Amino acid sequence: MIGILIVFIGAVLVLFLGLNKPEGGMKTLSSLVLFLAGVLSLLESLSILNFEMLSNWAPKNMIDFSKGDLMFVSLLAFVTAAIIAIFPTVEEKGSDRLGLMMLSLTGAFMMIGADHLVMLFLGIEVLSIPLYVLAGSDKHNLRSNEAAIKYFLMGAFSTAIFLLGCAFIYGGSGSLSLSEISLRMSIVGHLSEFPALIKVGVILMSTGLLFKVSAFPFHFWAPDVYEGSPNKVTTFMAVIVKIAGFVAFANYLQAFEALATWYSKWLIILAVCTIIFGNIAAISQKTVKRTLAYSSIAHAGYLLLFLITPMKANMWILFAYSVAYALSTVVLFYFNDKYSTKKEYGFGMFSGLLKNNQSATILMVISLFSIAGIPVTVGFTAKYYLFTSAFEVSPLAVGIALLGSAISIMYYFKAFKPMFESVETNTNETHASKIHFVVYLMVAASVIFGMFPYLFERCF
Amino acid sequence: MLNIFQSLEISHYIYLSCVLFCIGLFGVLFRRNAIILLMCIELMLNAVNLLFAAFSEYMGDKDANGQMFVFFIMVVAAAEAAVGLAILVMVYRNTRKTDVSFLDSLKD
Repeated sequence: MIGILIVFIGAVLVLFLGLNKPEGGMKTLSSLVLFLAGVLSLLESLSILNFEMLSNWAPKNMIDFSKGDLMFVSLLAFVTAAIIAIFPTVEEKGSDRLGLMMLSLTGAFMMIGADHLVMLFLGIEVLSIPLYVLAGSDKHNLRSNEAAIKYFLMGAFSTAIFLLGCAFIYGGSGSLSLSEISLRMSIVGHLSEFPALIKVGVILMSTGLLFKVSAFPFHFWAPDVYEGSPNKVTTFMAVIVKIAGFVAFANYLQAFEALATWYSKWLIILAVCTIIFGNIAAISQKTVKRTLAYSSIAHAGYLLLFLITPMKANMWILFAYSVAYALSTVVLFYFNDKYSTKKEYGFGMFSGLLKNNQSATILMVISLFSIAGIPVTVGFTAKYYLFTSAFEVSPLAVGIALLGSAISIMYYFKAFKPMFESVETNTNETHASKIHFVVYLMVAASVIFGMFPYLFERCF
Repeated sequence: MLNIFQSLEISHYIYLSCVLFCIGLFGVLFRRNAIILLMCIELMLNAVNLLFAAFSEYMGDKDANGQMFVFFIMVVAAAEAAVGLAILVMVYRNTRKTDVSFLDSLKD
Protein backbone atom coordinates (compact mmCIF):
# COMPACT_ATOMS: atom_id res chain seq x y z
CA MET A 1 0.00 0.00 0.00
CA ILE A 2 2.81 2.38 0.94
CA GLY A 3 4.32 1.78 -2.51
CA ILE A 4 1.19 2.88 -4.33
CA LEU A 5 0.81 5.98 -2.17
CA ILE A 6 4.40 7.14 -2.49
CA VAL A 7 4.63 6.55 -6.21
CA PHE A 8 1.27 8.21 -6.86
CA ILE A 9 2.07 11.30 -4.77
CA GLY A 10 5.52 11.41 -6.32
CA ALA A 11 4.05 11.23 -9.80
CA VAL A 12 1.69 14.13 -9.14
CA LEU A 13 4.56 16.15 -7.67
CA VAL A 14 6.81 15.40 -10.63
CA LEU A 15 4.04 16.33 -13.06
CA PHE A 16 3.37 19.69 -11.48
CA LEU A 17 6.82 20.73 -10.31
CA GLY A 18 8.26 19.94 -13.71
CA LEU A 19 5.57 21.76 -15.65
CA ASN A 20 7.86 24.38 -17.17
CA LYS A 21 11.23 22.85 -16.55
CA PRO A 22 13.26 20.60 -18.80
CA GLU A 23 12.67 16.94 -18.16
CA GLY A 24 16.22 16.33 -16.93
CA GLY A 25 15.54 18.43 -13.81
CA MET A 26 12.91 16.03 -12.51
CA LYS A 27 14.89 12.90 -13.26
CA THR A 28 16.64 12.72 -9.90
CA LEU A 29 13.48 13.44 -7.92
CA SER A 30 11.44 10.79 -9.67
CA SER A 31 14.06 8.08 -9.40
CA LEU A 32 14.58 8.93 -5.73
CA VAL A 33 10.84 8.69 -5.07
CA LEU A 34 10.72 5.32 -6.78
CA PHE A 35 13.79 4.16 -4.90
CA LEU A 36 12.18 5.19 -1.60
CA ALA A 37 9.00 3.31 -2.50
CA GLY A 38 11.09 0.27 -3.34
CA VAL A 39 13.05 0.38 -0.10
CA LEU A 40 9.95 0.84 2.06
CA SER A 41 8.11 -2.01 0.35
CA LEU A 42 11.15 -4.24 0.73
CA LEU A 43 11.41 -3.42 4.44
CA GLU A 44 7.70 -4.07 4.85
CA SER A 45 7.92 -7.42 3.14
CA LEU A 46 10.86 -8.40 5.35
CA SER A 47 8.65 -7.41 8.34
CA ILE A 48 11.09 -4.75 9.49
CA LEU A 49 8.61 -1.93 9.04
CA ASN A 50 4.89 -2.13 9.38
CA PHE A 51 2.32 -0.03 7.55
CA GLU A 52 -0.73 -1.87 8.80
CA MET A 53 -2.50 1.43 9.39
CA LEU A 54 -2.34 2.36 5.70
CA SER A 55 -3.63 -1.01 4.56
CA ASN A 56 -6.65 -0.59 6.80
CA TRP A 57 -7.75 2.41 4.77
CA ALA A 58 -8.18 0.30 1.69
CA PRO A 59 -11.19 -2.01 1.58
CA LYS A 60 -9.78 -5.35 2.64
CA ASN A 61 -11.37 -7.55 0.01
CA MET A 62 -10.29 -5.30 -2.83
CA ILE A 63 -6.56 -5.00 -2.56
CA ASP A 64 -4.27 -6.88 -0.27
CA PHE A 65 -0.51 -7.15 -0.50
CA SER A 66 0.96 -10.35 0.84
CA LYS A 67 4.66 -10.56 1.69
CA GLY A 68 5.45 -12.03 -1.71
CA ASP A 69 3.48 -9.31 -3.51
CA LEU A 70 5.50 -6.67 -1.70
CA MET A 71 8.70 -8.22 -3.01
CA PHE A 72 7.36 -7.80 -6.52
CA VAL A 73 6.31 -4.23 -5.76
CA SER A 74 9.80 -3.36 -4.57
CA LEU A 75 11.38 -5.08 -7.59
CA LEU A 76 9.23 -3.10 -10.00
CA ALA A 77 9.89 0.16 -8.15
CA PHE A 78 13.65 -0.41 -8.23
CA VAL A 79 13.63 -1.37 -11.90
CA THR A 80 11.59 1.70 -12.86
CA ALA A 81 13.92 3.90 -10.80
CA ALA A 82 16.83 2.39 -12.70
CA ILE A 83 15.12 2.87 -16.08
CA ILE A 84 14.43 6.53 -15.32
CA ALA A 85 17.97 7.04 -14.01
CA ILE A 86 19.94 5.43 -16.81
CA PHE A 87 18.05 6.48 -19.93
CA PRO A 88 18.67 9.96 -21.30
CA THR A 89 15.85 12.49 -21.06
CA VAL A 90 14.36 14.39 -23.96
CA GLU A 91 15.13 18.03 -24.71
CA GLU A 92 11.54 19.23 -24.51
CA LYS A 93 9.99 21.02 -21.57
CA GLY A 94 7.64 19.31 -19.17
CA SER A 95 8.13 16.17 -17.15
CA ASP A 96 4.98 14.42 -18.29
CA ARG A 97 6.88 11.38 -19.54
CA LEU A 98 8.33 10.69 -16.10
CA GLY A 99 5.01 11.39 -14.40
CA LEU A 100 3.10 9.09 -16.72
CA MET A 101 5.65 6.35 -16.24
CA MET A 102 5.20 6.57 -12.48
CA LEU A 103 1.41 6.61 -12.76
CA SER A 104 1.60 3.56 -14.97
CA LEU A 105 3.69 1.87 -12.29
CA THR A 106 0.92 2.42 -9.71
CA GLY A 107 -1.30 0.43 -12.05
CA ALA A 108 1.25 -2.37 -12.01
CA PHE A 109 1.16 -2.32 -8.19
CA MET A 110 -2.62 -2.50 -8.22
CA MET A 111 -2.48 -5.52 -10.51
CA ILE A 112 -0.04 -7.25 -8.19
CA GLY A 113 -2.08 -6.64 -5.06
CA ALA A 114 -5.51 -7.11 -6.60
CA ASP A 115 -7.85 -9.47 -4.82
CA HIS A 116 -10.96 -8.41 -6.68
CA LEU A 117 -11.76 -8.44 -10.37
CA VAL A 118 -12.62 -4.72 -10.30
CA MET A 119 -9.20 -3.94 -8.87
CA LEU A 120 -7.48 -6.22 -11.36
CA PHE A 121 -9.29 -4.50 -14.23
CA LEU A 122 -8.51 -1.04 -12.89
CA GLY A 123 -4.88 -2.01 -12.40
CA ILE A 124 -4.58 -3.21 -15.98
CA GLU A 125 -6.14 -0.01 -17.26
CA VAL A 126 -4.13 2.32 -15.04
CA LEU A 127 -1.05 0.49 -16.28
CA SER A 128 -2.06 0.62 -19.93
CA ILE A 129 -3.60 4.04 -20.52
CA PRO A 130 -0.44 6.03 -19.67
CA LEU A 131 1.53 3.55 -21.76
CA TYR A 132 -0.60 4.25 -24.84
CA VAL A 133 0.41 7.88 -24.47
CA LEU A 134 4.05 7.05 -23.73
CA ALA A 135 4.33 4.77 -26.76
CA GLY A 136 3.43 7.75 -28.92
CA SER A 137 5.45 10.28 -26.94
CA ASP A 138 7.85 10.83 -29.84
CA LYS A 139 5.14 12.91 -31.47
CA HIS A 140 6.68 13.74 -34.82
CA ASN A 141 8.07 10.29 -35.45
CA LEU A 142 5.68 8.31 -37.61
CA ARG A 143 6.94 4.99 -36.25
CA SER A 144 6.16 6.09 -32.71
CA ASN A 145 2.69 7.16 -33.84
CA GLU A 146 2.12 3.80 -35.38
CA ALA A 147 3.29 2.02 -32.26
CA ALA A 148 0.91 4.11 -30.16
CA ILE A 149 -2.13 3.40 -32.29
CA LYS A 150 -1.33 -0.30 -32.57
CA TYR A 151 -0.76 -0.62 -28.84
CA PHE A 152 -3.91 1.32 -28.11
CA LEU A 153 -6.14 -0.75 -30.38
CA MET A 154 -4.69 -4.05 -29.21
CA GLY A 155 -4.85 -2.95 -25.57
CA ALA A 156 -8.45 -1.78 -25.76
CA PHE A 157 -9.45 -4.90 -27.68
CA SER A 158 -7.85 -7.22 -25.14
CA THR A 159 -9.44 -5.28 -22.29
CA ALA A 160 -12.87 -5.85 -23.79
CA ILE A 161 -12.21 -9.60 -24.06
CA PHE A 162 -10.89 -9.65 -20.50
CA LEU A 163 -14.03 -7.88 -19.28
CA LEU A 164 -16.34 -10.32 -21.03
CA GLY A 165 -14.48 -13.04 -19.16
CA CYS A 166 -15.03 -11.17 -15.88
CA ALA A 167 -18.73 -10.92 -16.63
CA PHE A 168 -19.01 -14.65 -17.30
CA ILE A 169 -17.10 -15.52 -14.16
CA TYR A 170 -19.36 -13.20 -12.20
CA GLY A 171 -22.39 -14.88 -13.70
CA GLY A 172 -21.06 -18.34 -13.02
CA SER A 173 -19.72 -17.90 -9.53
CA GLY A 174 -21.81 -15.01 -8.22
CA SER A 175 -18.84 -13.11 -6.88
CA LEU A 176 -16.11 -10.77 -8.05
CA SER A 177 -13.72 -11.27 -5.18
CA LEU A 178 -10.96 -13.71 -6.04
CA SER A 179 -10.71 -15.23 -2.58
CA GLU A 180 -14.51 -15.62 -2.47
CA ILE A 181 -14.49 -17.27 -5.91
CA SER A 182 -11.73 -19.64 -4.86
CA LEU A 183 -13.72 -20.55 -1.75
CA ARG A 184 -16.84 -21.28 -3.76
CA MET A 185 -14.87 -23.25 -6.33
CA SER A 186 -13.33 -25.51 -3.71
CA ILE A 187 -16.78 -26.49 -2.45
CA VAL A 188 -18.02 -27.67 -5.85
CA GLY A 189 -15.36 -30.33 -6.15
CA HIS A 190 -15.58 -32.26 -9.37
CA LEU A 191 -14.49 -30.74 -12.65
CA SER A 192 -17.60 -31.58 -14.65
CA GLU A 193 -19.86 -29.89 -12.12
CA PHE A 194 -18.53 -26.42 -12.83
CA PRO A 195 -20.86 -24.21 -14.83
CA ALA A 196 -19.73 -23.69 -18.42
CA LEU A 197 -19.89 -19.96 -17.76
CA ILE A 198 -16.89 -20.17 -15.46
CA LYS A 199 -14.82 -22.11 -17.96
CA VAL A 200 -15.65 -19.69 -20.77
CA GLY A 201 -14.87 -16.83 -18.41
CA VAL A 202 -11.49 -18.27 -17.51
CA ILE A 203 -10.65 -18.73 -21.20
CA LEU A 204 -11.64 -15.16 -22.07
CA MET A 205 -9.90 -13.58 -19.10
CA SER A 206 -6.75 -15.54 -19.83
CA THR A 207 -6.93 -14.40 -23.44
CA GLY A 208 -7.00 -10.79 -22.28
CA LEU A 209 -3.99 -11.33 -20.05
CA LEU A 210 -2.10 -13.31 -22.70
CA PHE A 211 -2.46 -10.28 -24.95
CA LYS A 212 -0.89 -8.12 -22.27
CA VAL A 213 2.07 -10.42 -21.69
CA SER A 214 2.39 -11.08 -25.47
CA ALA A 215 2.14 -14.86 -25.43
CA PHE A 216 1.85 -16.95 -28.57
CA PRO A 217 -1.33 -16.47 -30.53
CA PHE A 218 -1.59 -12.90 -29.28
CA HIS A 219 2.00 -11.77 -29.63
CA PHE A 220 1.85 -10.22 -33.10
CA TRP A 221 1.58 -6.64 -31.87
CA ALA A 222 4.61 -6.83 -29.60
CA PRO A 223 7.57 -6.58 -32.02
CA ASP A 224 6.02 -3.64 -33.88
CA VAL A 225 5.07 -1.76 -30.74
CA TYR A 226 8.42 -2.43 -29.10
CA GLU A 227 10.27 -1.27 -32.17
CA GLY A 228 8.28 1.91 -32.72
CA SER A 229 8.17 3.20 -29.14
CA PRO A 230 10.98 5.31 -27.71
CA ASN A 231 13.68 3.12 -26.13
CA LYS A 232 12.88 4.08 -22.56
CA VAL A 233 9.21 3.21 -23.00
CA THR A 234 10.05 -0.06 -24.73
CA THR A 235 12.18 -1.08 -21.78
CA PHE A 236 9.39 -0.19 -19.39
CA MET A 237 6.87 -2.17 -21.44
CA ALA A 238 9.10 -5.19 -21.85
CA VAL A 239 9.91 -5.42 -18.15
CA ILE A 240 7.18 -3.90 -16.00
CA VAL A 241 4.13 -4.89 -18.03
CA LYS A 242 5.35 -8.43 -18.44
CA ILE A 243 6.24 -9.00 -14.79
CA ALA A 244 3.08 -7.34 -13.46
CA GLY A 245 1.04 -9.25 -16.01
CA PHE A 246 2.46 -12.57 -14.93
CA VAL A 247 2.03 -11.87 -11.22
CA ALA A 248 -1.60 -10.89 -11.85
CA PHE A 249 -2.04 -13.95 -14.04
CA ALA A 250 -0.64 -16.21 -11.32
CA ASN A 251 -2.77 -14.57 -8.62
CA TYR A 252 -5.95 -14.91 -10.60
CA LEU A 253 -5.32 -18.47 -11.75
CA GLN A 254 -4.78 -19.45 -8.13
CA ALA A 255 -8.42 -18.64 -7.48
CA PHE A 256 -9.33 -21.26 -10.09
CA GLU A 257 -7.01 -23.91 -8.75
CA ALA A 258 -9.89 -26.40 -8.83
CA LEU A 259 -9.73 -26.22 -12.63
CA ALA A 260 -5.94 -26.67 -12.74
CA THR A 261 -5.91 -30.00 -14.54
CA TRP A 262 -8.10 -28.56 -17.26
CA TYR A 263 -6.33 -25.29 -17.96
CA SER A 264 -2.76 -26.46 -17.45
CA LYS A 265 -2.77 -28.64 -20.55
CA TRP A 266 -3.74 -25.64 -22.64
CA LEU A 267 -1.16 -23.49 -20.94
CA ILE A 268 1.52 -26.09 -21.74
CA ILE A 269 0.61 -25.94 -25.44
CA LEU A 270 0.67 -22.14 -25.40
CA ALA A 271 3.97 -22.06 -23.55
CA VAL A 272 5.61 -24.45 -25.99
CA CYS A 273 4.31 -22.52 -29.00
CA THR A 274 5.45 -19.21 -27.51
CA ILE A 275 8.93 -20.54 -26.79
CA ILE A 276 9.37 -22.06 -30.24
CA PHE A 277 7.94 -19.10 -32.08
CA GLY A 278 9.73 -16.41 -30.08
CA ASN A 279 13.12 -18.03 -30.39
CA ILE A 280 12.88 -18.98 -34.05
CA ALA A 281 11.56 -15.59 -35.13
CA ALA A 282 14.32 -13.87 -33.17
CA ILE A 283 17.08 -15.56 -35.14
CA SER A 284 16.25 -13.85 -38.41
CA GLN A 285 15.92 -10.33 -36.99
CA LYS A 286 18.34 -7.68 -38.17
CA THR A 287 17.82 -4.93 -35.62
CA VAL A 288 18.81 -5.31 -31.99
CA LYS A 289 15.55 -3.87 -30.72
CA ARG A 290 13.42 -6.36 -32.62
CA THR A 291 15.62 -9.22 -31.52
CA LEU A 292 15.09 -8.16 -27.93
CA ALA A 293 11.35 -7.89 -28.58
CA TYR A 294 11.19 -11.47 -29.85
CA SER A 295 13.39 -12.60 -26.99
CA SER A 296 10.89 -11.05 -24.60
CA ILE A 297 8.17 -13.11 -26.28
CA ALA A 298 10.28 -16.22 -25.72
CA HIS A 299 10.68 -15.27 -22.07
CA ALA A 300 6.90 -14.93 -21.79
CA GLY A 301 6.84 -18.57 -22.92
CA TYR A 302 9.21 -19.67 -20.16
CA LEU A 303 7.13 -17.75 -17.65
CA LEU A 304 3.97 -19.48 -18.89
CA LEU A 305 5.60 -22.72 -17.78
CA PHE A 306 5.58 -21.29 -14.27
CA LEU A 307 1.79 -21.08 -14.35
CA ILE A 308 1.43 -24.85 -14.65
CA THR A 309 3.44 -25.54 -11.51
CA PRO A 310 1.82 -25.34 -8.07
CA MET A 311 1.99 -21.58 -7.86
CA LYS A 312 1.34 -20.63 -4.30
CA ALA A 313 4.45 -22.33 -2.89
CA ASN A 314 6.54 -21.39 -5.90
CA MET A 315 6.01 -17.63 -6.10
CA TRP A 316 9.67 -17.13 -5.27
CA ILE A 317 10.59 -18.87 -8.54
CA LEU A 318 8.54 -16.33 -10.46
CA PHE A 319 10.30 -13.65 -8.45
CA ALA A 320 13.74 -15.07 -9.22
CA TYR A 321 12.92 -15.26 -12.91
CA SER A 322 11.53 -11.71 -12.89
CA VAL A 323 14.71 -10.42 -11.27
CA ALA A 324 16.87 -12.21 -13.83
CA TYR A 325 14.77 -11.06 -16.76
CA ALA A 326 14.49 -7.47 -15.54
CA LEU A 327 18.19 -6.99 -14.79
CA SER A 328 19.49 -8.34 -18.08
CA THR A 329 16.77 -6.85 -20.30
CA VAL A 330 17.15 -3.34 -18.89
CA VAL A 331 20.93 -3.44 -19.34
CA LEU A 332 20.70 -4.73 -22.91
CA PHE A 333 18.09 -2.13 -23.86
CA TYR A 334 20.33 0.50 -22.30
CA PHE A 335 23.26 -0.50 -24.51
CA ASN A 336 20.99 -0.65 -27.54
CA ASP A 337 19.81 2.88 -26.77
CA LYS A 338 23.34 4.14 -26.14
CA TYR A 339 25.05 2.74 -29.20
CA SER A 340 22.36 2.81 -31.87
CA THR A 341 22.50 5.66 -34.33
CA LYS A 342 20.22 6.80 -37.14
CA LYS A 343 22.22 4.79 -39.64
CA GLU A 344 23.25 1.78 -37.61
CA TYR A 345 20.73 -0.03 -35.44
CA GLY A 346 21.65 -3.63 -36.20
CA PHE A 347 24.25 -5.70 -34.44
CA GLY A 348 26.93 -3.70 -36.24
CA MET A 349 26.50 -0.96 -33.64
CA PHE A 350 28.69 -2.95 -31.27
CA SER A 351 31.56 -3.28 -33.72
CA GLY A 352 34.91 -2.73 -32.03
CA LEU A 353 33.39 -2.21 -28.60
CA LEU A 354 36.13 -4.18 -26.90
CA LYS A 355 38.80 -1.90 -28.26
CA ASN A 356 37.04 1.30 -27.22
CA ASN A 357 35.43 0.40 -23.94
CA GLN A 358 36.45 -2.70 -22.04
CA SER A 359 34.11 -2.20 -19.08
CA ALA A 360 31.07 -1.86 -21.37
CA THR A 361 32.08 -5.10 -23.07
CA ILE A 362 32.29 -6.93 -19.76
CA LEU A 363 28.90 -5.60 -18.67
CA MET A 364 27.31 -6.62 -21.94
CA VAL A 365 28.84 -10.07 -21.91
CA ILE A 366 27.56 -10.74 -18.39
CA SER A 367 24.08 -9.49 -19.29
CA LEU A 368 23.99 -11.63 -22.42
CA PHE A 369 25.11 -14.64 -20.36
CA SER A 370 22.37 -13.88 -17.86
CA ILE A 371 19.59 -13.52 -20.40
CA ALA A 372 20.70 -16.67 -22.22
CA GLY A 373 20.87 -18.59 -18.93
CA ILE A 374 24.56 -19.42 -18.62
CA PRO A 375 25.87 -20.40 -15.16
CA VAL A 376 27.11 -18.05 -12.45
CA THR A 377 24.54 -15.46 -13.50
CA VAL A 378 21.06 -15.09 -12.04
CA GLY A 379 19.59 -16.00 -15.43
CA PHE A 380 20.91 -19.52 -15.05
CA THR A 381 19.69 -20.05 -11.49
CA ALA A 382 16.24 -18.68 -12.27
CA LYS A 383 15.90 -20.88 -15.33
CA TYR A 384 17.16 -23.86 -13.36
CA TYR A 385 14.52 -23.41 -10.65
CA LEU A 386 11.78 -22.73 -13.15
CA PHE A 387 12.55 -25.75 -15.30
CA THR A 388 13.03 -28.17 -12.41
CA SER A 389 9.68 -27.18 -10.90
CA ALA A 390 7.92 -27.42 -14.28
CA PHE A 391 9.63 -30.74 -15.03
CA GLU A 392 7.42 -32.51 -12.49
CA VAL A 393 4.32 -31.42 -14.40
CA SER A 394 5.41 -31.71 -17.99
CA PRO A 395 8.86 -33.10 -18.90
CA LEU A 396 8.20 -32.69 -22.62
CA ALA A 397 7.50 -28.96 -22.33
CA VAL A 398 10.67 -28.48 -20.31
CA GLY A 399 12.63 -30.37 -22.96
CA ILE A 400 11.33 -27.99 -25.61
CA ALA A 401 12.07 -25.03 -23.36
CA LEU A 402 15.67 -26.22 -23.00
CA LEU A 403 15.90 -26.55 -26.77
CA GLY A 404 14.51 -23.01 -27.02
CA SER A 405 17.18 -21.72 -24.64
CA ALA A 406 19.80 -23.40 -26.78
CA ILE A 407 18.41 -21.64 -29.86
CA SER A 408 18.34 -18.36 -27.98
CA ILE A 409 22.10 -18.55 -27.45
CA MET A 410 22.44 -18.35 -31.20
CA TYR A 411 20.91 -14.91 -31.49
CA TYR A 412 22.11 -13.45 -28.22
CA PHE A 413 25.67 -14.27 -29.16
CA LYS A 414 25.32 -12.61 -32.55
CA ALA A 415 26.45 -9.50 -30.68
CA PHE A 416 29.80 -11.10 -29.79
CA LYS A 417 31.26 -11.17 -33.27
CA PRO A 418 31.11 -7.40 -33.90
CA MET A 419 32.10 -6.69 -30.31
CA PHE A 420 35.39 -8.53 -30.49
CA GLU A 421 36.32 -7.74 -34.07
CA SER A 422 39.24 -5.46 -34.65
CA VAL A 423 38.42 -2.18 -36.31
CA GLU A 424 40.52 0.23 -38.27
CA THR A 425 39.23 3.48 -36.83
CA ASN A 426 40.78 4.37 -33.55
CA THR A 427 38.16 5.90 -31.31
CA ASN A 428 34.42 5.76 -31.48
CA GLU A 429 32.91 8.65 -29.52
CA THR A 430 29.70 6.90 -28.52
CA HIS A 431 31.51 3.74 -27.51
CA ALA A 432 34.05 5.54 -25.38
CA SER A 433 31.46 7.51 -23.39
CA LYS A 434 30.92 6.73 -19.72
CA ILE A 435 28.40 4.19 -18.52
CA HIS A 436 25.92 5.06 -15.81
CA PHE A 437 26.87 3.65 -12.40
CA VAL A 438 23.42 2.06 -11.97
CA VAL A 439 24.23 -0.27 -14.86
CA TYR A 440 27.29 -1.50 -12.95
CA LEU A 441 25.09 -2.09 -9.89
CA MET A 442 22.54 -4.04 -11.92
CA VAL A 443 25.14 -6.28 -13.51
CA ALA A 444 26.81 -6.80 -10.14
CA ALA A 445 23.41 -7.74 -8.72
CA SER A 446 22.85 -10.31 -11.43
CA VAL A 447 26.16 -11.96 -10.60
CA ILE A 448 25.61 -11.82 -6.84
CA PHE A 449 22.10 -13.26 -7.04
CA GLY A 450 23.49 -15.91 -9.35
CA MET A 451 26.06 -16.94 -6.79
CA PHE A 452 23.71 -16.93 -3.82
CA PRO A 453 20.44 -18.18 -5.29
CA TYR A 454 19.00 -19.22 -1.93
CA LEU A 455 18.47 -15.52 -1.14
CA PHE A 456 15.22 -15.66 -3.12
CA GLU A 457 13.77 -18.60 -1.28
CA ARG A 458 14.77 -17.01 2.02
CA CYS A 459 12.97 -13.76 1.27
CA PHE A 460 9.57 -15.32 0.70
CA MET B 1 -44.41 -3.95 -21.85
CA LEU B 2 -43.06 -4.60 -18.37
CA ASN B 3 -44.34 -8.16 -18.52
CA ILE B 4 -42.24 -8.86 -21.58
CA PHE B 5 -39.08 -7.80 -19.77
CA GLN B 6 -39.96 -9.82 -16.72
CA SER B 7 -40.60 -12.93 -18.74
CA LEU B 8 -37.14 -12.73 -20.33
CA GLU B 9 -34.70 -15.21 -18.90
CA ILE B 10 -31.06 -14.58 -18.14
CA SER B 11 -30.04 -16.62 -21.18
CA HIS B 12 -31.65 -14.06 -23.49
CA TYR B 13 -29.43 -11.37 -22.05
CA ILE B 14 -26.39 -13.57 -22.43
CA TYR B 15 -27.19 -14.21 -26.09
CA LEU B 16 -27.87 -10.55 -26.78
CA SER B 17 -24.63 -9.49 -25.14
CA CYS B 18 -22.67 -12.11 -27.02
CA VAL B 19 -24.16 -11.00 -30.33
CA LEU B 20 -23.35 -7.35 -29.59
CA PHE B 21 -19.87 -8.32 -28.50
CA CYS B 22 -19.27 -10.31 -31.67
CA ILE B 23 -20.47 -7.43 -33.84
CA GLY B 24 -17.86 -5.27 -32.13
CA LEU B 25 -15.24 -7.98 -32.41
CA PHE B 26 -15.71 -8.49 -36.14
CA GLY B 27 -15.76 -4.75 -36.61
CA VAL B 28 -12.36 -4.49 -34.95
CA LEU B 29 -11.01 -7.35 -37.03
CA PHE B 30 -12.30 -6.26 -40.44
CA ARG B 31 -12.77 -2.50 -40.51
CA ARG B 32 -9.82 -0.27 -41.24
CA ASN B 33 -10.98 3.19 -40.21
CA ALA B 34 -9.56 4.02 -36.80
CA ILE B 35 -12.68 5.90 -35.66
CA ILE B 36 -14.89 2.96 -36.52
CA LEU B 37 -12.47 0.70 -34.66
CA LEU B 38 -12.92 2.92 -31.60
CA MET B 39 -16.69 2.69 -31.94
CA CYS B 40 -16.49 -1.10 -32.22
CA ILE B 41 -14.42 -1.31 -29.06
CA GLU B 42 -17.02 0.84 -27.28
CA LEU B 43 -19.69 -1.55 -28.52
CA MET B 44 -17.77 -4.50 -27.06
CA LEU B 45 -17.46 -2.73 -23.71
CA ASN B 46 -21.16 -1.86 -23.70
CA ALA B 47 -22.08 -5.46 -24.43
CA VAL B 48 -20.11 -6.39 -21.32
CA ASN B 49 -21.92 -3.67 -19.36
CA LEU B 50 -25.27 -5.10 -20.36
CA LEU B 51 -24.16 -8.55 -19.29
CA PHE B 52 -22.97 -7.30 -15.92
CA ALA B 53 -26.21 -5.45 -15.30
CA ALA B 54 -28.23 -8.51 -16.29
CA PHE B 55 -26.25 -10.84 -14.04
CA SER B 56 -26.46 -8.39 -11.19
CA GLU B 57 -30.22 -8.23 -11.51
CA TYR B 58 -30.37 -12.01 -11.78
CA MET B 59 -28.43 -12.47 -8.53
CA GLY B 60 -31.10 -10.54 -6.66
CA ASP B 61 -31.05 -7.54 -4.41
CA LYS B 62 -28.13 -8.55 -2.26
CA ASP B 63 -25.50 -8.28 -4.93
CA ALA B 64 -24.73 -4.86 -6.39
CA ASN B 65 -21.18 -5.80 -7.35
CA GLY B 66 -22.03 -6.21 -11.01
CA GLN B 67 -23.72 -2.82 -11.24
CA MET B 68 -20.76 -1.24 -9.50
CA PHE B 69 -18.46 -2.82 -12.07
CA VAL B 70 -20.50 -1.21 -14.85
CA PHE B 71 -19.65 2.25 -13.56
CA PHE B 72 -15.97 1.42 -13.45
CA ILE B 73 -16.11 0.15 -17.02
CA MET B 74 -17.88 3.33 -18.16
CA VAL B 75 -15.26 5.55 -16.53
CA VAL B 76 -12.38 3.57 -17.97
CA ALA B 77 -14.01 3.48 -21.40
CA ALA B 78 -14.29 7.26 -21.32
CA ALA B 79 -10.63 7.60 -20.36
CA GLU B 80 -9.65 5.16 -23.05
CA ALA B 81 -11.69 6.97 -25.68
CA ALA B 82 -10.09 10.28 -24.70
CA VAL B 83 -6.57 8.88 -25.03
CA GLY B 84 -7.46 7.00 -28.20
CA LEU B 85 -8.87 10.09 -29.91
CA ALA B 86 -5.82 12.10 -28.84
CA ILE B 87 -3.54 9.49 -30.43
CA LEU B 88 -5.71 9.57 -33.53
CA VAL B 89 -5.43 13.35 -33.78
CA MET B 90 -1.66 13.03 -33.47
CA VAL B 91 -1.55 10.45 -36.26
CA TYR B 92 -3.86 12.55 -38.42
CA ARG B 93 -1.60 15.59 -38.07
CA ASN B 94 1.34 13.59 -39.37
CA THR B 95 -0.32 11.52 -42.07
CA ARG B 96 -3.60 13.30 -42.90
CA LYS B 97 -5.32 9.93 -42.72
CA THR B 98 -7.33 8.05 -40.13
CA ASP B 99 -7.03 4.75 -41.91
CA VAL B 100 -4.98 2.22 -39.98
CA SER B 101 -3.93 0.19 -43.02
CA PHE B 102 -1.59 3.01 -44.06
CA LEU B 103 0.37 2.46 -40.91
CA ASP B 104 2.69 -0.34 -41.90
CA SER B 105 6.16 1.12 -41.63
CA LEU B 106 7.03 -1.26 -38.82
CA LYS B 107 7.87 -4.61 -40.33
CA ASP B 108 10.39 -7.39 -40.11
